[in-house]
Amino acid sequence: MSAVDLLNLLIAALLQAGVYAAMSVGMTIIYGVMKIVNLAHAGFLMLGAYFVYELYARFHIDPLLGVLLAFPVFFLIGMSVHWVLVRRIPTSDQPTLTSLLLLFGLWLVLQNLGYVVWGNSDRAILTPRTLDVLQIGPISFPTVRLVVFGAALTSLGSLEFVLHKTWFGRAVRALMQNSDAGRIVGVNVERTARVAFGVGIAFAGAAGGLLAMIYSFSPDFGGPFLLRSFVVIVMGGLESFAGVAVGSVILAVVETFCILVLPANYQPAIAFSLLVLALIVLPEGVAGLWNKRRRWA
Amino acid sequence: MAPILSIDRVTKYFAGLTALKEVSFDLQPGGIYGLIGPNGAGKTTLLSILAGSIQPTSGTVVFQDRNVTGAKSFAMAQAGIVRTHQVPRPFRALSVLENVEVGVRFGRSQGSAGDLWDARRILEWVGIAHLADAPSVTLSVGDQKRLELARALATRPSLLLCDEVCSGLTEPETASVLRLLRKIQDAGTTILYVEHNLKAIMSVSHHVIVMNFGEKLAEGSPEAVQSDPSVIAAYIGRTA
Amino acid sequence: MNGAGKSGASARPRFAFAVAPLLLLAVLAALPAFSLGPNTVRLLFVTLVWVTISIAWNILGGFGGQVSFGFAVFYGLGAYTAALSVNSGVNSILSLLLAASVAVLASMLVGLPTFRLRGPYFAIATIGVSEAVRVVMTNVSMTGGASGYRIIETRPFHQLEHFYAALALAVVAVAVSMQVRHSKFGLALIAIREDEEAASDLGVNPYRTKLLAHALAAALTGAAGGVFAQYAAFIHPQGVFAFGIGVAILLMPIIGGIGTVWGPVIGAVVYGLIQEELIASFPQLHLLIYGSLLILIVLFEPAGIVGIARQIVPRLRARMEG
Repeated sequence: MSAVDLLNLLIAALLQAGVYAAMSVGMTIIYGVMKIVNLAHAGFLMLGAYFVYELYARFHIDPLLGVLLAFPVFFLIGMSVHWVLVRRIPTSDQPTLTSLLLLFGLWLVLQNLGYVVWGNSDRAILTPRTLDVLQIGPISFPTVRLVVFGAALTSLGSLEFVLHKTWFGRAVRALMQNSDAGRIVGVNVERTARVAFGVGIAFAGAAGGLLAMIYSFSPDFGGPFLLRSFVVIVMGGLESFAGVAVGSVILAVVETFCILVLPANYQPAIAFSLLVLALIVLPEGVAGLWNKRRRWA
Repeated sequence: MAPILSIDRVTKYFAGLTALKEVSFDLQPGGIYGLIGPNGAGKTTLLSILAGSIQPTSGTVVFQDRNVTGAKSFAMAQAGIVRTHQVPRPFRALSVLENVEVGVRFGRSQGSAGDLWDARRILEWVGIAHLADAPSVTLSVGDQKRLELARALATRPSLLLCDEVCSGLTEPETASVLRLLRKIQDAGTTILYVEHNLKAIMSVSHHVIVMNFGEKLAEGSPEAVQSDPSVIAAYIGRTA
Repeated sequence: MNGAGKSGASARPRFAFAVAPLLLLAVLAALPAFSLGPNTVRLLFVTLVWVTISIAWNILGGFGGQVSFGFAVFYGLGAYTAALSVNSGVNSILSLLLAASVAVLASMLVGLPTFRLRGPYFAIATIGVSEAVRVVMTNVSMTGGASGYRIIETRPFHQLEHFYAALALAVVAVAVSMQVRHSKFGLALIAIREDEEAASDLGVNPYRTKLLAHALAAALTGAAGGVFAQYAAFIHPQGVFAFGIGVAILLMPIIGGIGTVWGPVIGAVVYGLIQEELIASFPQLHLLIYGSLLILIVLFEPAGIVGIARQIVPRLRARMEG
C-alpha cells in the first residue's frame, strides 16, 4: 500500500472522526449533565435530517443554513421533551434503567412519527456541493465531509468555551460532578438540566442535518449512529469535550484501518465490539487512563 | 491468645488521595473495639476494606489465621466478617423477615436444616419480631438499624463491623442499641465499632483505636485514649 | 413473596388465581377439540413461543434486575442450532437440547465480561453484543448468510405437533419461573436487584448468581428459538437476530409486570395479539404503541399490567362487597 493511499485512508478516517464527533456531542451533553443515556438521540438525528431535507426540498434553503436553523428549533423541542417527560423521572449520579427505558420508548414513538409522515423510502439531500471534491495534490477531500468536520470542530470548540468560560458552563460542570453540591451552592438544577437537555437535542437535530448531507436516510436512521455515539462517549470519557474528539478519532481510525484486515461486511461489528471492550477495560474512558497516569507520576 | 484479626500496614490510595497509610493493629476475640477519629480520618475506608467492599492498595489482613487480604465482601461474609451500613440499606421489595432470611441463607450458616439460628429467632433477639412481616421500608430509623444488625447477625459472623450504628438516634434509642451490642458481644461475637458519638463508644468499648489523617494515632483503654494529648489535639485542632 | 398475612376473606380470590392457569392449560391442551383454523393455531403457537422467552428474560431482568437488550442472540443461535442439527439428522427433541446448550454457552461468553458492569452499562453492552452477533451471522456463509437457512423437510408438516411443543416448553418455563421465585436462588436474585452491594455484604455472590440466571434464561430462550425454527423451517438473520426482537423480548415482561411470575405471560399474550393483528394492517403503528406503552409504564405504573390489576382488584372487590 503506497504512502499516498495510506494518507488518503488517514484523511478519510479523520474526516469520519469529524462525523462521529458531530453526532456524539448532543448525547455527551445530556449524559454528562444528567447521567442519562439518551436512546432517543437517534430519533432526533432522524428528525434533524428530515427537517433540513424538508427545508431544502420545499423552500430551497441551503442545507447548511438548514442546519443552523435546526439549532433553535430543536432546542425548543428538547426543552419541551424534558418538561413533559424527562423531569418526571428520578435521576442519580449513575445512569438509571428508568431513563434508559423512557427514552427508548420515545425513540420508538419518534420512529413511528417518521414513518407516518415520510413513509419508509430512503431520502437524500443532493446539492451541487454533494459531489464536490477539494483536491490538494494527490489527496482528495470530499467537500461535504470537510464541512461536517469543520462543524464538528466549531461545536466542540464553542462548547469547551461555554463550559469553561461562562457562568452557565460552570453550573453545568458543577452538576456533572455532583448535583447535590451544585444545588447547595445555588445552581438551579432543574432549570440547568432542562437547558442542557435542550442544548443536547439541539446538537442532535443539527447533527442529523449534517449527516443528511452525507448519507441517505429513512425513519430508522440513527440506530447505527446511536451505538457509535456510545462508543465515542465511553471511550472518550467525560472530563471534557476533548474526550469526544479522542473517542471519535479512535473509533474512526480503528474502523477505517480494520477494513485492511476484515471484510467490509463485518465493519459494523467493530464499533459494537469496541463498545463492549471500552466499557469493560476503560470504564472511565481514555480520559480515565490519562488521570491515572497523572496519579502515578 | 491469638488475635482474631490482625492487620498490617494497610494502605489505600484513591486517585491522588491517600485515605489510609500503613494502619496496623490486632483485635483479640470477644471484645468490643471502638474506632474513632475526626472526619476524614479514614475510619469508614478501613471498615470497608475489612468488610471486603473495597480492596486495599497494600498491606495484609489476616482473620483467624487466614490471609483474607483483598477478598470480596461475599467471601468475607463466608469467612465470618460482616458489616452493617451507616445508612441502613434494607432490601426494599422484601419484608423484614425476608431481609434477615438473606443473611441466614447466604451467610456462614448457609441456612442448614435444623439450624436453630433462624430468621424469626434473630428478630426476637434483636427486638423487632413484631415487625417480621412488615415491608422493610416502613420501619423507623431506629428499627432499620436493628434490622441492619439482625441481617448481619444472621450470617453468624465472628467479627461484626458496625458503621455508626447510633447516628441519627435519640438518647434512649442509643442506649438500647448499645445494650444490644453488649448482648452480641456476650454471645461471643467480636465487634469493631466505628462511631462519632464519643460518649456512646467510650461507654461500650473496652479498647479504643484512634485514627487521624489515614494513620493510626493511638490506641488503648477509653480512659487512656481520652487523656492522650495527641488525641485531644487531633479533635480540638479539627474543630478550631 | 410479600409476606403480609392474608385473612380468610381474601382466600377465595387467591384460590381462583391458582385455578385459572390450570384451567387455561386444560383448554389449550384440548385444542384439537375446538377445530380452530390454521391461522388461529399459528397465532397461539407464536404467542406461546413469546411466553417462554418473556418468562426467560424476566428471570434475569425481572427477578435479578439485569436488563439485557441482547436476548435475540440466544433466540437466533437457538434457532440456527436447531435448524442445523435437524438437517444433520438429529431428532427434534435432541436438537432443542442442543439449541439450549449453545445458548447457554453464548450466555457465558456474554456474561463473563459484562456482568462486571453495573446495571445500565450492562444494558448498553448487551446492545453492542447483540448487534455484533447479528452482523457476524449475516455474513457467515455456512449458515446461508443474509439469505437465510432452510430446514429440509423430511416429514409431513403437522401444525399441532409444533403447537404442543411450544405449549410444553411454555409450561416448563412457567414451572421454572415459579420454582426460581420461591427458592434460595430467587432470593439471591431479588437481593441483587434491590441492592447488589448489600447482598454481597451478606454473602451472596452476585457475579456467579447473575451468570447462572443468565444461563437459565438463555437455555429457555434458545429452546424457544429452536421450537420456532422447526415450525418455520426457514430462518434468516434479520428475522431472528434483529434488534427489534431483542426489544420485543424485554417489552413483554415490562408491559405485563416485570419481576412477577405471571406478568411476563400476560405481556407476551398482549404483545402476541398486537403484533399479529397490527403487523398486517398498520405496519409501523406497533412502534407507536410499544413506545407509548413503555413511556406510560415507566412514568406511571412501573409494575405494568399486574401492577394496575393489583390496584384495581381490591377496589372492585370492595365495591362488590360494600
